[in-house]
Amino acid sequence: MSEPRALVEHFFRHEFGRLVAVLTRSLGVRRLELAEDVVQAALTQALQTWSRRGVPEDAAGWLYRTARNLAIDALRREQIHAKALPHLAEVGDGEGESLPPETHFADEIGDEPLRLLFVCCHEEVPAESRVAIALRMLCGFGTAEIARALLTTEVNVQKRIERARDRLRELEVDFDTPDAAQLRARLDAVLAVVYLLFSQGCYATHGDMPIRRDLCDEARRLARMLAAHPVGDVPVVHALLALMCFHAARFDARVALDGAIVLLEEQDRSAWNWNDVREGMAWLARSAAGDQLTRYHLEAGIAWEHCRAASFADTDWRRIAELYDALDRIAPSPLYSLNRAVAEAYLHGPQAGLDRLAAVPLESVPARYPGWHAVIGEFHFRLGQHAPAASAWQEALRLTAARADQEFLRRRIAACRPDGGEPRVGGTFE
Amino acid sequence: MPKYLLLFRDSTESRAKPSPEEMQALQTAWYAWMQKYSSAIVGGDGLKPSGRVIKAGVVTDGPYVEAKEVIASFSMIQAENLAAAVAIARDCPGQYTGKFAHTIEIRELGGYA
Repeated sequence: MSEPRALVEHFFRHEFGRLVAVLTRSLGVRRLELAEDVVQAALTQALQTWSRRGVPEDAAGWLYRTARNLAIDALRREQIHAKALPHLAEVGDGEGESLPPETHFADEIGDEPLRLLFVCCHEEVPAESRVAIALRMLCGFGTAEIARALLTTEVNVQKRIERARDRLRELEVDFDTPDAAQLRARLDAVLAVVYLLFSQGCYATHGDMPIRRDLCDEARRLARMLAAHPVGDVPVVHALLALMCFHAARFDARVALDGAIVLLEEQDRSAWNWNDVREGMAWLARSAAGDQLTRYHLEAGIAWEHCRAASFADTDWRRIAELYDALDRIAPSPLYSLNRAVAEAYLHGPQAGLDRLAAVPLESVPARYPGWHAVIGEFHFRLGQHAPAASAWQEALRLTAARADQEFLRRRIAACRPDGGEPRVGGTFE
Repeated sequence: MPKYLLLFRDSTESRAKPSPEEMQALQTAWYAWMQKYSSAIVGGDGLKPSGRVIKAGVVTDGPYVEAKEVIASFSMIQAENLAAAVAIARDCPGQYTGKFAHTIEIRELGGYA
């Protein structure tokens, strides 16, 4: 027996997404479920076979051929193969069989996942279903994994996916239909899904992992795929990519060895990933083409300001405040107000920050968002008002489910006690 | 050295489908198993799900319909004795996790070696 080979990370998951997309092309969107079942069966067969005789050289090609044959079998049983069968049969047949997958399915792989992403973001599919089905079909996440990522139950995830599938079937969406104009019209919805994936990964509000790298990586993978296609090669996509790269650059520095969150102020800037920063800069430069100014542009600009500063003290808070003001004009959100208040505090002191937050109309206050209370606590603490600081942090602690945040808040609350030791400097909940 | 056939029987009950990531974790564990016992493993393969069953001259599709478990794969190993073969089989991944549980049957080859 030859030396067994290991699979690259996430191979099964990424192949799942790729194969579902490719098979859906042949089977039609209304048979999305069949495509999913067939790919699942192909992976199972791979596991059973590769566990006995090792992973083949052309693992992706092996999976594809297995899935395709299973699909043909399934169609034969259904006797509905008349239309789809010739298409399935011709692909990858004959002499091309032994070529690496990149060569022999070159036509297919390039566009299919992207096409499926746009199908998943059909305007008739409920918004909450879009993310769930994209994670399932394109990223190959299991139901339990999606439930954890989206902070909901498995039953809910299942329902959302079924709703999306049913809707797409009813609409008789054809995989080929979206033309360039329709794709452009749906681009905003697609970007919203990618952005949600990324922020869900970045600010994991749950469990043990402060950053769910998988989600962030998937979001970037999808966005890069978009940017490589004529429809997605536009400034707004470049801006989103820049934004994600600048945030990703700081991932490693944001989490301490013990899993606790390290605030921007205390991060070791040499631990930032400068390759990500450079990639972000390249996207940012490209995003400046044209006259469109989106929230992604502004958020990328803010993230860039943080990356650009040589030290925390060098941060250009005036520029950041301006960018938040601009954001508040085009996409008002209490979270922007919160971050704007933080910038204000760095410019004019913690009382100025508190005043800004006090000016937010009561009905817009995100009272259930732990970060809101955490920042209020920080402002009070810096003003030496330990009692209100402790009670704001208690409220934040009550609302947060992420272990790293809980640990952080407990330390801050302890610092409010008279014997709390060195009052550590805090920072933004950036 | 005697040879042994390991027959892996998978349950046909429809349980929660393992996610691709879970499958890959299992594949990684199998990779480690194959490396650890590379000198003992002679060969093996997985089996496609569909085949035929001939019984009393009657050919039917099979084996899936009535069986609770089907043979999904096999390995051929060589070991000093049955106890050593059992030890290798016991070290196979995935035996204790509900989603992937399988039965392993260990049989010595008749052979003439």
